[in-house]
Order: sequence, then C-alpha cells, then structure tokens
Amino acid sequence: MRKNRNAETLTRSVGRRNGDQDAYEKSPSITEQQTLSRRNFLAGLGITVAAAGTATTTLGNTSKALTKKSNHQVQWAMVIDTRRCIGCHACTVACKSENDVPLGYSRSWVEYIEKGDFPNVDRSFLPRLCNQCSQPACVDVCPTGATYKRKEDGIVVVDDDICIGCKYCIQACPYDARYLNPITGTVDKCDFCLHRVTQGLEPSCVNTCEGRARIFGNVNDPASEVSKLLAQNSYTVLLKEMGTYPNVYYIDADHADPRDFLYKDRYIRVTTHRKEKLRR
Amino acid sequence: MEQELIWGLPVVGYLFLAGMGAGALITSASMLLRSHGRSAFYRLARYGAIISLPLVGIGVFLLVFELGSFQAGHWFRWINLYKTINLSPMSIGSWLLLLYFFATAPYALTFILPGNGLNDKWKIWRDRLAYVSIALGISVAVYTGVLLGAMPARPLWNSPILAMLFLVSSISTGIAVVLFTDWLVKLLNWDWPARYFNWQNDKNEGYSDATYILAVTDTLLIGLELMVVFLFFMYAHLTVGHVEEAIKVFQLGGELAGPFWIGVVVIGLLIPGLIELIKVFPALIGNGQYVHGGITMLLVPILVITGGFLLRYVIVVGGQIARLAGI
Amino acid sequence: MLNRRDFLKAGAALAGTLGMTRVALAEPPRQLLMGGKDFSRRTGLEREMKPSACWQCVSRCPNVGYVEDGRLVKIEGQINSIRTLGKLCAKGQAGVNQPNDPDRILYPLRRTGKRGEGKWKKISWDEALTEITNYLNKLKDEGNPEKFMFHYGRMKASSSKIIKQFLAAYGTKTIGNHTSICEGGKWTAQEFTWGKHYDNWDFDNARFVLNFGSNLFEAHTNHVSTAQRLVNAINERGVRVVSFDVMLSNTVSKSGEWVPVKPGTDLAAVLAMCHVIMKEDLYLPHGEEFLKFCRVTENVNASMEEKVAALKAHLKDYTPEWAEQQSGVPADKLREIARAFALNYPAVVISYRGAVAHHNGHDCERAIQMLAAITGNIDVPGGRCRAVTPKWKYPHGYPNPPKARKLDVLDGFKGKVMFPTHHISHQVLDVIRDGSQGRPDLYMWYCYQPVYSNPQVQRNIDTLKDEKILPFTVSISPFYDESSALADIILPDATYTERWDWEDMVSPNQIPEYYMRQPLVEPPAEVRDFKDVCIEMAERMGFPLGYRSAKEFFRLSCEMTPSVKKAGGYDYMVKHGVYVDPDDKPLFYQFLKEPPASKLEGDEVLFDSDTGVYWNWKKAHAPGREEAAAKGYTHSKKAYKGYIGQKVGDKVYEAFKPDKINKTGYFELYSALMANKGLPAMPTWHQIPEHININPDEMILTTYKVNVQTHSRTQNCKWLTEIYYENPAWINPATAEQFGIEEGDDIRLTSGMGKIETRARVTPAVYPGIISISNHCGHWEYGRMASGKKTLFSIDDPDYARKWWSENGVHPNWIIPSSPDPVNGQQRWMDTVVKVEKV
Ligand SMILES: Nc1nc2c(c(=O)[nH]1)N[C@H]1C(S)=C(S)[C@@H](COP(=O)(O)OP(=O)(O)OC[C@H]3O[C@@H](n4cnc5c(=O)[nH]c(N)nc54)[C@H](O)[C@@H]3O)O[C@H]1N2
Ligand SMILES: Nc1nc2c(c(=O)[nH]1)N[C@H]1C(S)=C(S)[C@@H](COP(=O)(O)OP(=O)(O)OC[C@H]3O[C@@H](n4cnc5c(=O)[nH]c(N)nc54)[C@H](O)[C@@H]3O)O[C@H]1N2
Ligand code: SF4
Ligand code: SF4
Ligand code: SF4
Ligand code: SF4
Ligand code: SF4
Ligand SMILES: [Mo]
Repeated sequence: MRKNRNAETLTRSVGRRNGDQDAYEKSPSITEQQTLSRRNFLAGLGITVAAAGTATTTLGNTSKALTKKSNHQVQWAMVIDTRRCIGCHACTVACKSENDVPLGYSRSWVEYIEKGDFPNVDRSFLPRLCNQCSQPACVDVCPTGATYKRKEDGIVVVDDDICIGCKYCIQACPYDARYLNPITGTVDKCDFCLHRVTQGLEPSCVNTCEGRARIFGNVNDPASEVSKLLAQNSYTVLLKEMGTYPNVYYIDADHADPRDFLYKDRYIRVTTHRKEKLRR
Repeated sequence: MEQELIWGLPVVGYLFLAGMGAGALITSASMLLRSHGRSAFYRLARYGAIISLPLVGIGVFLLVFELGSFQAGHWFRWINLYKTINLSPMSIGSWLLLLYFFATAPYALTFILPGNGLNDKWKIWRDRLAYVSIALGISVAVYTGVLLGAMPARPLWNSPILAMLFLVSSISTGIAVVLFTDWLVKLLNWDWPARYFNWQNDKNEGYSDATYILAVTDTLLIGLELMVVFLFFMYAHLTVGHVEEAIKVFQLGGELAGPFWIGVVVIGLLIPGLIELIKVFPALIGNGQYVHGGITMLLVPILVITGGFLLRYVIVVGGQIARLAGI
Repeated sequence: MLNRRDFLKAGAALAGTLGMTRVALAEPPRQLLMGGKDFSRRTGLEREMKPSACWQCVSRCPNVGYVEDGRLVKIEGQINSIRTLGKLCAKGQAGVNQPNDPDRILYPLRRTGKRGEGKWKKISWDEALTEITNYLNKLKDEGNPEKFMFHYGRMKASSSKIIKQFLAAYGTKTIGNHTSICEGGKWTAQEFTWGKHYDNWDFDNARFVLNFGSNLFEAHTNHVSTAQRLVNAINERGVRVVSFDVMLSNTVSKSGEWVPVKPGTDLAAVLAMCHVIMKEDLYLPHGEEFLKFCRVTENVNASMEEKVAALKAHLKDYTPEWAEQQSGVPADKLREIARAFALNYPAVVISYRGAVAHHNGHDCERAIQMLAAITGNIDVPGGRCRAVTPKWKYPHGYPNPPKARKLDVLDGFKGKVMFPTHHISHQVLDVIRDGSQGRPDLYMWYCYQPVYSNPQVQRNIDTLKDEKILPFTVSISPFYDESSALADIILPDATYTERWDWEDMVSPNQIPEYYMRQPLVEPPAEVRDFKDVCIEMAERMGFPLGYRSAKEFFRLSCEMTPSVKKAGGYDYMVKHGVYVDPDDKPLFYQFLKEPPASKLEGDEVLFDSDTGVYWNWKKAHAPGREEAAAKGYTHSKKAYKGYIGQKVGDKVYEAFKPDKINKTGYFELYSALMANKGLPAMPTWHQIPEHININPDEMILTTYKVNVQTHSRTQNCKWLTEIYYENPAWINPATAEQFGIEEGDDIRLTSGMGKIETRARVTPAVYPGIISISNHCGHWEYGRMASGKKTLFSIDDPDYARKWWSENGVHPNWIIPSSPDPVNGQQRWMDTVVKVEKV
C-alpha cells in the first residue's frame, strides 16, 4: 500500500512538472511514437527526461486504466489459463530463440508445483514472465529512466541505449523477471515481444503454446479474448500485495509455496527449471 | 547460498565507505564548530574533512565498477545518471553525491590551503561550509539506507528504520575513522603535510575534551544503534508474511545468524560500547577524568569500523537471500 | 531490450509493407496474427521464412524456419497444418540449436588410433566413399553382399525409401531397425488383432479417455497433434481422462485421475474391465455390432451367441477382486471405470510403452484392443482408429536389383521369440557376438546408437569395440555420440534443418496431410545429407538409382503423387510446406469397405473355407493354385500378401487386412496363429516372471521420457539441456524410508548387468517399490552440453562458456538387461529388478 501512495504522489508532481498529461491523453500511434522517439533520441538528453516522464506519468494513468476508466488506451495483457497448461516448456524455448536470451538467463520459465501424499499427489504448472505491471516497481527505482512503461500499449520496456546496468530494477522486481544481460551489460526482461506485437504478431510464447494456455490481447478492449476470459472466470495475479498491479492474469493458478505457512511439514516441491533454483 | 547475489561486495563497500565518509564529515564539522580555538578540535576536524572525500570517492568508484554497463566496457555510461532526475532513490542519491563533492571539496580545501590554521582567512567559509557539510553528511548517510529501503520486493530492507540504522552507524564509524586517523598520524609522526602547507603549529589544546566528547557521543550512538537494531529485528520478527519470513536469515539457524549476532552485535556494538562506557563513566558522573588511551584510540575504532562494515554486509547480502513468503 | 535506433531502421525499411500494420496499431487489432512471419529483434527487419518439418522426435511436425545473415535463428509452427495447428513443442523450438551446435562433426573422419581411442583424421569424401565402396564391391564379388549390415534408428518417409532403394540395389537385406527397443511389441500385437500397426486416438470426438502407460503430454509418437487435442477435449468438452501409470507423469497430472498401478500388471486391470463389461452385458449395443467383425473362437463362422459365450467364458475368472490382487488397483475402482468406459460411447482407450514394454506386453496390448472392440470403439469417430497417412508416390530406384541376401542376425536367437515381426534390434549385437548365426563384415549405422540406446551398454561397447567380431564399422551422424566414438569411419550427416524429404506422419483427425522438409540452411563445411551420399555410392558402384539427389527424388515424388500434383506439385510444396486434398474426408469405418466383385473372381483368386478369406495366391507368390489351395491360406508362406477380403455372414468385406502374418480379415480377439504355436489364443494373464518374488532390498526399475528431451539425441541442444540436464531416480517416500534413503542421497543400483550410482529424488509422485529413471541423460560423449566433454571439432561459443550446470545425469541402460517379450520381441524396459542401496 505504501508503495501505491508513493506512486500517486510521484505521478502528480512529475506529471505537473513536464506537463505530459494531455500528450498522453491523445495516446499517439506507434509511428508517431517512433518519430517522437527519434527526435528524443537525437536530442540525446531529451530522450531520458521524456522517458522518465513517460515512466512516471503512465503509472498513475494505467492504474486508472486498470479500473477501466480510460478504455481508449491499449494495455496489452496476458491471461494464462493454467488449466490448459501441460508444462511443456515450449514457451520457454520459443522465448529464448525469439529474443536471443543468453544461456543461464530467462525472460520466461515454467515452474512445476508438486504437492500431496501418495496417491493423492498433484503437479501443477505456473508459466512465468514479466507482468508488465501497471505500477511497475522496476520503473519506480530506475535512476536513468531507461526502463519505462510505454504509454501507447502499457508494455514495460528497457531502453538499452540508456540503461547503465545498475541492477536496481532487478532488486525491485518482486517477480524476478529481470536479469543483467552479460553481453550488453544492460538489463533485459520480457517485453511482450514488442518487436512482434508492434508488427501485428502474437508474442512468440503465445504462438507456440501447446495447450493454448497463454492468451494475449488488449485488456482495455472489452471485446478482446482476454477481457472476456477475465469477465467469465475468477483469476488471480502473482504477489498482489506488492501493489504492482500485474497485467499477466492467471486462471486457476496454484499459489502454493514451500515458504507459505500452510505448507509447513507437508510435501511440496517447486521446480523453477532455470538457473535460479528458488523463487524470489 | 543457492541464489546469485545481484549486488555484491562492491555495493557493500560503497554503502560502508560512503556512510563512514559522511560520518567523518559530520564529525569534522561538529568538531570544528565547537572548537572555540582549541587546536586539538581543529586538528580532528581537519582529519575528518580531508578523509571524507576519498572515502566517499572510493565508495562511488566501487559502485560504478559494479555497473553492468561498466563491466561490459561502456566506461562512461553512468553519465546517464546525470541526464535526468526522477524520484528513484538512486537518481536523487547520485545528484546528492554530486553536491556532496562540490561542497566537501572546498570545505576540505579550507583546511589544506596555506594559512595560519584556526583563525586564518578561510575561517568564515570554513564555518559556513561546516553547516552545509552536516546537512549533506546526514543526507548521504540516510540515503544509503533509503536506497535499500525503497523496495517491497526486498522485505528485509523495506523498513523505515533501516535509514536510521545506517545514519547512526555512519556517524559512529565516522568518529571511529577520525580517531583512527589521529592515531595513525601520531604513530607515523607524519608531519610533512603540516610542514609543506606550513600549517600552524599543531598543539594539543583541549585534546582530552575533544576525545571525551567523541567518546561520549560514540557511546550514546552505539547505545542508540543497539536500540535500533533491536527494533529492526523485533518488529520484523513480530510481524507476519514476507518480512517475518525474511528476518529468518538473522534468526538462529538462518544463513547469516553468525555474522549478524557475533559480528555486528557483539564485536561491532556490545564490546566497543562497553569499553567506552567504562572509560567515560567516571567523567560522566563527575568523579574522575576521562583518559584517552591505547584502547580507545585504537581498539574501539577498529571494532566499530569492522562492525560498521559487517552491518552493511549482512544487510546487503541478507536482503537478497531473504525471500518472499509466497507467490 | 528495446533499441530505439534499430527500431527506426525498421520503421524506415518497412515503411512500405507496414501500411496495414500502422493502421492496425493506431487502433490495435483484436486478433493478432498467430505467426507465419517473424521480425528480427535486433534490426526490426522481417526474416526470410521457409516451410519445412521438425525431426526432433518421431512426430515430425510441420514447421517453418527463419534465417538471418545465413544463420538459422528461429523455428516455429506451421500455422496451416491441420495436424499441429501451428504449434511446436520445446524440442521443436530448440531445433535451432542443431545446425548451430558448435561441437558437431564437420568432416568425414577416419580412425587413426585403436578403435575407440578417440584419435581421428579428416579425410575427403572421395577417400571415404572409395574405401567404403571398394569394401562393398569386394563383399559383393565374393558373393555375400549380406555381410554388409545397415542398422538404422530413426529413418522415415522418403529417407527410408531412398536409403532402402540403395541397399536393395546393392543386394543386402541385412537391414536392422530400432523398433524392438521402441514400440515393436505394440505393433505386433496390433498386427495380431486388426492387421496393420499404428493407431490414432480421436480425441476430438471421444467422450471418455482411458490411458494405459501413454505419456502423450510429454512424449508420444504424434505428440503436438494429439496433446493439444486432448487438452481441448478436457477443457472444452469436459472429457474425463483416467490414467494408469506407475508415476505421475505430466500426462497423468493433467488427467483427472491417476490410477497408480504395479509395473506390468495393466493386463490384469484390462482383463478385469473386459470381465465387468461382458458380465454386466455392457457390450450392448455398440460392442455387439462390432463383434460381428471379430473372431472370438476357432470357428470363424460362430454366431453372436457363441461369440458372447466364448468371451464370457474366457473372462469369467478375471474378476475385479482378482485383478486387485495382481495390480493393487481397488476392485471397485476397476468396476467403476469399466462401466463408465462402456457407457460413455464413443470412448477411446489409449496405450503406449508403459503397457507394452513388458513380458506380458503382447497380451496387454491385445487385451486393450479387446476392451475397445467389445465396446464398439474401433475405427469409429471418438474411438481407437487405424492410422491414416498420406500416400506418396515415388521413383522406384534401380530398375533391376539383384536377389537380395540376408544374414540371420535380425530376429534374435533362433526359436527364442515366436513372432518378431519388427525384428529384435536390441539383440543384434549379441547375436553377432555369438557368431553362430553369421556376422557382418561391414556394420554401418545411421541415426542410431547401438551402444547407448539399447540395454546392457557395456556389452554393446565390448562387441562394437572388438575388431575380430566386427572388422569394419561406419557411423553416420552429425554428432560425436558414444557409438560413433567406436566407429572406423564417421560420415557427417546433415541435420534435419539441412535436408530434403517428403513426410507422411499419422493424421490425428483421420485426414491425411501431405507435407515436406526442405533445408532451412545449407550444410556447413563438408557435411552432406546421407541420402545424397547413398545416391552417389550407387552411381559409383554402377547401379544408379535414377535420381541425382534427395531434392530431385522429392520433386519427382511431387509430380507422381496425384493430390500433390493437383495442388501445384513441387513449387506449391516448397512454398507452402503442407497440403490437404479437399477431396479427402476423415477415414472411419474402413473395415466396412467391400472389395469390388471383379476382384473376387479369376484363376488367381482362392476362397479359404477354414478362415473365410479370399486371397490371391499369385500376389502371395505361391508356386501354384493347387498347392496353394491344398496348403490353405493360414499355412501358405506370406499368404497375407494376397489377401483380398473376409467373408462375414454372406457378405465380403475388406475388413481388417492382415500385415506381416496370415491372420484372417476379422478383428482377432482369438488368434489361431498363436494357438498353433501353443500360445493362449485370447489375451491371457501371466505375471512378469522376475516380479514373482522380489527381495526386500530390491525395486522394480522403470524408465520414461520427459517433455524436453528426445532419447539420446537432443542433449546437445543447449536450450533443452538447460531445462533438463540430470535424471534423478524417483522413489516413493515410503519406500525411501524402508531403504533409509533421503532426498538427494547418492544411491547404488545393481543388476545382473552391473552397477550405476545416481541421485535419489524422493517424491510421492511415483508408485511405492519402484525406482523410475528417465533414459535421456548420462552421456559421456555428445559434446559439452550433454557430457561437459569437448569434441575434437569443438568451436568456441560464448554461450557455451556460460554453461552453469555440471551434473549430466546417469544413463539407466548400463544395468538394464537385454530381454525380449517372448511373443513379439519387444525389449522389456519396464521389468528390470534392481538391488538398491544408499552409497
Ligand atoms: N519428449 C519426447 N517425446 C518423444 C520421445 C522422446 O524421446 N522424448 N520419443 C518418441 C518415441 S520414439 C516414442 S516410442 C514415444 C514413446 O512415448 P510413450 O510410450 O508415451 O512414453 P514413455 O515415456 O516411453 O512411456 C510412457 C509411460 O509409461 C509409464 N510406465 C512404465 N511402466 C508402466 C507400467 O507398468 N504400467 C503403466 N500403466 N505405465 C507404465 C512410464 O511411467 C511413462 O510415463 O515417444 C515419442 N516422443
Ligand atoms: N531405458 C530406455 N531406453 C530407451 C527408451 C526407453 O524408454 N527407456 N526408449 C527407446 C525408444 S522408444 C527409442 S525409439 C530408442 C531411440 O534410440 P535411437 O534409435 O538410438 O535414436 P536416438 O537416440 O534418437 O538417436 C541416435 C543417434 O542418432 C544421431 N543423430 C542425431 N541426429 C541425427 C541426424 O540428423 N542424422 C543422423 N544420421 N544421425 C543423427 C545421434 O548421434 C543420436 O545419438 O531409444 C530407446 N531407448
Ligand atoms: S514484473 Fe517486474 S519487471 Fe515486469 S513490470 Fe512488474 S516489476 Fe517491472
Ligand atoms: S539497470 Fe538499467 S533499467 Fe534497471 S534501474 Fe538501472 S538503469 Fe534502470
Ligand atoms: S512475450 Fe515474448 S518476451 Fe515475453 S515471455 Fe513471451 S516470448 Fe518471451
Ligand atoms: S507452452 Fe503453453 S502449455 Fe506449454 S508450458 Fe508454456 S504455457 Fe504451458
Ligand atoms: S513433437 Fe516436438 S519434437 Fe516431435 S516433431 Fe513435433 S515439434 Fe518436433
Ligand atoms: Mo520409440
């Protein structure tokens, strides 16, 4: 909660400072954005200020968006219907190749949660990726504005021309969704396959999902498949109490965790299938 | 340890040195402002002023060294910190440090430049800058705590009292390092700078007062720090959820229980605290004189400094291995 | 990471093509394109795309590949495929790692040191092929071409055709496969019941799914196509899935119900279910309809009453209570499942290696066929159907091949196994070692690991190493595996991303799909597709196959295959990759087809009254009509080749055409052929001999596959092995306690074959008393990802410097003995009893 208040105040002050509000209301198309970012880019210094602005202003606004006040705005989102997930890891690998993720790091991974006593044992699957939060903890702490939430589609991106690799955002992300790319020296994470989505293509993990458990779309469009699924099903997000307002929604997710008091002295095994053997 | 540390020793070193440097500056300023012409006060103030900058400087270099961009060969990518400002503690911190250097450098200079010491032509500036230094010293010390405190994702750090803890520890280590320097200079009877800048004779007026004041202050600080540590620990332990889970790293059987209890609490706080208390007690209750001897000159400072480092270590490392209580 | 500068380049470069995209994004599309194109993250530019087909496992799903700067960078699903519906599994996605493997073999190699010493020198293709063809010519001139043995593992579709045409033209029939370590037993059992092998499960229409030992959510021979259809059935139609397995595979975890079963006892459970269904007359009505086409008694003309009576009599003692004793599955549970299965028509019973890789596997699969038959779930929508595949036409190779000769080393030791209709590959090396049934001089293997994939690894090594037993050995592989390490010559094959093929895998919805594989990138260095090598060798030895390359073979096949030609032939396939003939409708009820009357008459046609079979004695190569008539259908060698139709009542149907054996055209629940050999004619229970008394310090070892690895073959794929790099032994907590074993302990497993030491994973997700180990890990060669060991040809790769795991698992096959199912020769992977102790 404390977190959110911070975010609010942050929005107001910065929002006023660079008077970005109405620019945002118009929500320009990608191409405008690109030229915009060109100007910024050439402006060198300009860019980061704008970025910082973007980052901070969007925070407030997408939180509005989440309460469906600004439906004109695009917020890409993913619904993961774990009932359909067979834990096949196709998403993990698709992501690795689509985004040249170095060995030992992951933008996406699939956790297995195995629990119970023979013969009443169950194994469930929890695909993980960046939540493209509406109030991204990572953005709050970024000192350079390299990571920010795109106003045109709510995707949280890292600009690797600006990122200094201070790793503050890695610390701040409750979901361990970020890693320092050893090649570029900048931080990387799932960006909803921005380079595909901006070309009208589904993200790579969605396109290969064997169970069609990953559904992608605009959560602010009531007619989109994601909106419908969320309307028709009960769903959860991960670590709600972190106040990040994720845009990755889970249907029937198994939130069981060994550190959860409920599972004291009961068999539960979480396998992350990546270098980090433990959850954050 | 099963996870990799995102922030390693360089960051520990940075938080420690920046804190100690800031502490040294605060010590220096307060010594100066209460010197009333006593050269011992002035000398200690000078040491504080002069060592503060390099300490913080080295700290900052360590931080830059830890940057992914730096390690990937983009030596000057960190400049981006100064192309923008936002409410990220690190952004504010970077600007703060910039200010710190701009203010501390001239302040230190006023001690170095040739002059007749105490009441030379730099005095007014020295005194004015002293006030600024106190403000900046406290800000930097506090910021080192805020930097870590700002993240719910790190329940161990995400506590308002962490900044307090770092502030107190900073000042206490600051005092320690000043005393240590004094001892070191004496030991090596290192007088070439004085001769070179023809600093005015370094007589020892008010030496016992000065050291007494520092000892008393330090005793109080250590007491305060123990209190803060206690609150930090107890509240974490008494709450529920992520924080309660996180504090387990320091509880018996926790990964860092040893370094925390033995290193930080016993070696870094209890022992030096007790020694100093015993030393200052007679003077404190007004029957007897405080004697600044080998133990308080050397042993205490070393213990305090070690404790200060271990504190940053267990907090930085602990915060990263202490995990959230669920998903 | 978003890189603005590059994004701009993209923006500019794509300005033309992106008109639509731009609009789309100002007002974002509701439905994004699923795939079919891809853009470089680095430059934003669209990538070159080619349709092709995966080969990471036997399923061979259609795919598309993307190339950037001449490097294969991305593989994804073929969105126009009716089989995969555009999906690929993790292995398919990781296919990118295959051509880019920095440890792969780039040149033909000749051994310099002792065999297996690891000393090699590069040789030219000319040297290699000259040496091999000279050797082959020598054998041929000496009149024993059969002393050239070719042993393949994974070889399908056009690859199989071309290579076998080469072997035929040369004149050897000493051609081994890997089927007995795979699923040969299942195939033979199906040949005994419904003739041809390979079944398809119609999840799209089924109302109930009953699973015996299939792990189709992780493995299966048609994985992507069937897995997602089952996911749909479960989630969209609420279909109930019950899985019998010894462990909680991902398939089981997603089925509603896990029925833990003692290894090798599924047969008992299935018989009990059949018992319940017959006893309670649940075979009515659908089962009764189908029984008309079943043979249940010696007499092929038995009435329905007689058939029902015979079934009831045979099943009488197989009560659920009895089965509970054998299998540990509660009687009531068996009863309930049996009833539900019978009442939820159409229902499909699925089975795989868990059911068949046992001493009683043959009858287990036959019993499962029986269960499907008596509930009328054979070849019907929603049931268990005979596979449908596209029928490619293709060139026939060298016009007049010699009469081929064959060494008797393929079917195990003489007289040991009754019906090895798919050979006994895992005993080939032992038979050769024994020598009494002959030995090849040149032993050549292709996409196969005689050493590693078979049981009793050490003995395989000893045999393959021994130059007295095998004078000349040649391995064909892109990678330096454990078997290639023991070869005299290694020929570097192209990976599947560098090859031409037409493909023909089974359709999941009974509609054939024509598809193909084309090179996504060119083979590096000296690497060549072995098919092209065969074609060259044929030319060198003077029996040209009539096409100059695998590519040309494919092109000709496109022109010869009516459907494909109609679609636009070669050009169409190369552009689109997949084709479905709109005239092809889903194929069900194939057995109801009636042969044209014309086919039933004529001098070459005989009616066999014992069996009711019409057959063509000429097609069966019988010496003459009288002799054939006298001998009769059943006893004439290869009479099944002349099968025309089966007389059922007063009508003749194509019914269940036999393959490989002279069964009748009926769906045989009663097998006269087995009876003749003194085997039970109907599926009959017997316990796994080794399991009859197990000592308290022993466990039953079962093995299984995982979703991100294929056999011995994919551990070089960094993206897969990063996810699954070691194969701990699963042990139930109760059992672990008895043995004093704890999570992570090192344990020793001992069998007649030797010892292995591996790590314990204590989990309730496995049946008590068994120890379960996957067969993927434990390489000691195969490159850095698989074994940590460099190959002679390793190229530096920054990603390889980041390999973060050191454990590579332990291969279970060291301690699994080679032991065939006595009826069909299937290797009994799941029967081994091992001594287990903490180290
Ligand atoms: N990922 C992946 N997919 C593959 C392959 C691969 O290597 N990896 N290989 C391909 C090939 S060639 C084949 S043949 C197929 C094999 O496909 P499957 O046969 O479906 O897979 P397996 O893992 O061999 O065995 C299936 C299950 O049998 C269970 N089992 C063992 N003993 C028993 C028993 O006594 N009773 C019962 N009810 N179950 C038992 C095992 O626990 C396992 O879960 O997969 C194909 N697809
Ligand atoms: N214990 C146990 N053992 C098993 C099984 C089990 O369930 N349990 N499963 C069995 C089953 S179902 C099967 S089908 C077999 C499969 O075993 P094999 O028939 O041996 O097939 P693979 O292991 O897939 O591949 C064998 C070798 O082919 C080479 N290879 C890889 N790609 C290519 C290529 O593109 N071209 C050529 N020429 N060679 C290539 C590699 O060196 C690889 O090691 O394993 C069996 N082994
Ligand atoms: S998941 Fe983590 S990285 Fe992604 S937006 Fe949320 S806080 Fe940022
Ligand atoms: S690592 Fe990069 S993105 Fe993350 S906080 Fe630092 S500068 Fe921002
Ligand atoms: S959306 Fe793209 S980047 Fe994100 S997990 Fe899926 S594939 Fe990876
Ligand atoms: S691809 Fe789909 S089904 Fe497979 S693990 Fe990922 S989310 Fe689950
Ligand atoms: S199932 Fe997976 S590995 Fe097998 S062919 Fe299909 S995509 Fe390739
Ligand atoms: Mo197989």
